[in-house]
Amino acid sequence: MYVESFPDFSEWFLPGLLLFLAVLVSGAILGLFFGYLVAAFRHGPFEAFYVVAQVVAEAVPDFMKTSPRRVVALARLAIKEAMRRRVVLVTFVIFALMVLFGSWFMGGGTEKPEQIYVNFVLWGTQMLVLLMGLLLSAFSLPDDIKNKTIYTVVTKPVRSTEIVLGRMLGFATVGTLLLVLMGLISYFFVWRSLDHSHQIAGDWKTKAVAASQGLAAFTAVDTEAGKSTITGKRVSENALFEATTTVDNDHSHRLEIISDVREADQPALDSDDIIRTIKRDDGRVEYHRVMCLPVGNHTHAVTVTGEGDDAQITLGQSVGYFRARVPIYSSELTFYNREGEANKKGTNVGKESKRRGYVDGGSARKRSTLSRATFSFENVRESRFPDLDFVPIDLTLGVYRSYKGDIEKRVIAGLQFESIPDKPDVDNKFISEIIEFETKEFAVQTLPVPKKIVGRIVAPDGSLVEEGAYDLFDDFAGDNQKLMVVLSCRDINQYIGVGRSDAYLRGKDQAYWWNFLKGYIGIWCQLMIMIALGVALSTFLGSPLVMLSAVAVMIVGFNSEFIRKLAEVDAQGNLINEQGGGPIESFVRVVTQQNMMVDLDTGFFDTIIEKLDYLLVSMLKMLTYLAPNFGDLNFSNYLVHGYAVDNSRLLVAIAVTIAFVFGLTLLGYFCLKTREIAK
Amino acid sequence: MATDTSATSQSPQPTGRLEQSNPDYDPNIVIEAQNLTKVYRDFWGRQKVRALNALDLEVRKGEIFGLLGPNGSGKSTTIKLLLGLLFPTGGRAIVLGKNATDVAKNERVGYLPEESYLYKFLNAEETLDFYGRLFDIPAKIRKERVQELIQLVGLEKAKRRQLREYSKGMTRRIGLAQALINDPELILLDEPTSGLDPLGTRDMKDMILKLRDQGKTIVMCSHLLADVEDVCDRIAILFQGDLKEMGRVDSLLKVSGETQIKAENLPESAHEEIRQIIAKHGGKNIVVDNPRTTLEDLFLNIVRESEQRPGMRPTSTTGGDADSATPPADPSN
Repeated sequence: MYVESFPDFSEWFLPGLLLFLAVLVSGAILGLFFGYLVAAFRHGPFEAFYVVAQVVAEAVPDFMKTSPRRVVALARLAIKEAMRRRVVLVTFVIFALMVLFGSWFMGGGTEKPEQIYVNFVLWGTQMLVLLMGLLLSAFSLPDDIKNKTIYTVVTKPVRSTEIVLGRMLGFATVGTLLLVLMGLISYFFVWRSLDHSHQIAGDWKTKAVAASQGLAAFTAVDTEAGKSTITGKRVSENALFEATTTVDNDHSHRLEIISDVREADQPALDSDDIIRTIKRDDGRVEYHRVMCLPVGNHTHAVTVTGEGDDAQITLGQSVGYFRARVPIYSSELTFYNREGEANKKGTNVGKESKRRGYVDGGSARKRSTLSRATFSFENVRESRFPDLDFVPIDLTLGVYRSYKGDIEKRVIAGLQFESIPDKPDVDNKFISEIIEFETKEFAVQTLPVPKKIVGRIVAPDGSLVEEGAYDLFDDFAGDNQKLMVVLSCRDINQYIGVGRSDAYLRGKDQAYWWNFLKGYIGIWCQLMIMIALGVALSTFLGSPLVMLSAVAVMIVGFNSEFIRKLAEVDAQGNLINEQGGGPIESFVRVVTQQNMMVDLDTGFFDTIIEKLDYLLVSMLKMLTYLAPNFGDLNFSNYLVHGYAVDNSRLLVAIAVTIAFVFGLTLLGYFCLKTREIAK
Repeated sequence: MATDTSATSQSPQPTGRLEQSNPDYDPNIVIEAQNLTKVYRDFWGRQKVRALNALDLEVRKGEIFGLLGPNGSGKSTTIKLLLGLLFPTGGRAIVLGKNATDVAKNERVGYLPEESYLYKFLNAEETLDFYGRLFDIPAKIRKERVQELIQLVGLEKAKRRQLREYSKGMTRRIGLAQALINDPELILLDEPTSGLDPLGTRDMKDMILKLRDQGKTIVMCSHLLADVEDVCDRIAILFQGDLKEMGRVDSLLKVSGETQIKAENLPESAHEEIRQIIAKHGGKNIVVDNPRTTLEDLFLNIVRESEQRPGMRPTSTTGGDADSATPPADPSN
């Protein structure tokens, strides 16, 4: 998963509010203009002025005098109506069928079934709930007007605000209740589907339950080569024996017995996974511990009762499927090239550089230590991190090889930690040794960084002050709680690619249920906007048109990022992301049978075509700001990949929802107020 | 736009359309329509129908006012304009001293639509409770009022049944009950007896009279002449959007050119005497009385005449005191 934006609610709020006000003001001006046109058409240009003024003047008391009791009464009616229409029931039945039979088609052939399951329930819930919200809101008011039941309502002292708000509140209540129910069922469904345990298999080929559950079920590994006799792959350090488990939930685990030697003066190890304890002659104690190797993200706790061949090994329920990792992203990423010059993009290695910058490993002739990527972290304090004796750093690195290199080895990268003094020309600086590690491409690799790191203190003039082991939090992060992490490439002529979201410190995991709830709050926000949109449009459009328009808005909303990218221009004002140009240029190419790669002949017509294309695409881009960016409200990616949805993002989503619901309420009110209810 | 309003005796006050309150608001005048015009247009703004043409109307407190006319004559349009369901193309309508489009007037208005447009998935109690909530009536009073009204319209046995199961008559009753939930001063009834059997019609008429006796003002529109004749104090006859006739029912129906004498236990000899007296005066009939024409005759007469000479009727043909200035019958009588 690649995160592109790092919203900070406090920073986002003011520009967001200004944008909202700008849209509101321009909407108001447009509305007044359009209203005046319609009124002038009906009553003449002079009279129209008074008509518009009257509508505006009446709006204020209409909003001020809106009675909550009447809104609730109308909401109750909307709820009863929603239940009567059976849309809710049908939605729920479809969901129930999905959940009941969905697992027949999922889970096979992947090490991370939780991603498929979570994606499935979230996507299903989102689509069903949005469709339901749209159906309810699109048909309610037009039907009421068609059946004339609205006559008996508007001839009571009911204001247009109350009709609009009552409908929204009613459907929102129904939608919320259904969403809560679906959320609970989904949670239970995912948990039940993934929860499993294994037994030890007797033969790694048959994977049948072993006759003996003790040490006898294990075979020795090839300790010389450090390879498995079963798979031929590398085994863990100090592994002595291995076995496999039975196949449950479409997978089996490898078990290893690892030798854990403790010094004589160390306290005796007390762990549930010890299968054999050997006292050596030199006084040291060797513990043989049974480890269950993870498949994907999950593993099982091992409990051993008894000793040796008589031991009974029990694997616990799966753990690790449901995580809400809290990434602490850097506030700034800077690249330095071989000459030590800073830039934002890193070395360009071609198309791969699009979202990652690349760090140069230097050449054999000029072994560069200056080429690096620096991540500045803020608010680094111990309380944010898990209660372990190391700090986990997650890295997702891209590797660009300029030559094949050692095929057995991966490209080596280095990590270094530095303090960021507030006054660099006065304060001393902590600099750690470089920790080298093998990069793992296409995966998130977690590096456990010890809390005490060997390093040195350097004075502002570069002279060495002291060497020793220093504390990551107390010394490196220090009082200003700032930490710099420096990534470098240790292999000559190779490149390591990294983006801002590719390296983060792992904070304390969040409770999974809370993250799950946040995912559903995202869906809820989308639902609220959908309902408000349906109700607002249905004040002046018939049901089929409401459906059509709302679906159009939804499509724009889900793809607004993509559409905005289409309208990106370079310094010359040419569209960047379109091969073959915009709509008109593409049409011309189709008609004149020109391919996409060759530039059009530059001339008068081509300039006009380009400008028109730019205008069209820009209009499309402006449209995306009117449609809600559903991508910002959709957190399913976070849940699927096991990341916590950060609170800023949640607050942004809620604020966006409030803004849209407010704007749509206004739209619905004015449209209902100015239309004739009767025909 | 034809704005010839000379048919009615009262000339309208020239007032601005957007004026919210009437400075010379008379609490005895419940409804005042001035030059009220409604033109239906199509999507492109082209005129489709002129549904109501420069209507001037005044309804006073405590009377039953009937709007009469054939289908498509503008009765329902008038009611909808008075309720603010439609916006006038020209002129204005003042209801209870407020502009017809003002929501606040609805606090004191009850409306029974042509068909009872009610939510069919609610039962009688829920329906009345829902409309009671729209008036912000506190829960306790609302509950009492709901039971009271259910009793009034005689739906005690069916109050828990959904409206979809109701017969036409029952639907009309619950429709009337919802119109009365706020104890309104002004009740607008659109075809109150349509679709009712004779017994139901009688009940409805009795209820309307009872409401009048409670001091409420009632405006009803109907094309059923017998209903209007029975209950209305004053009527207005509309045809193709034009006001054709307006006045008290009794005076409109009096045939002033004829005399009718009716007596009981009169000996045969007296008959001869009366005949002689009539003959002496050149009369021909023996019945001594003011005969009443039926409303049906009056109505058909007006319709036929209108078809021959479209537009507003310049003078009233029958009633001498059309749109009479005499106050309506005292409700207590």
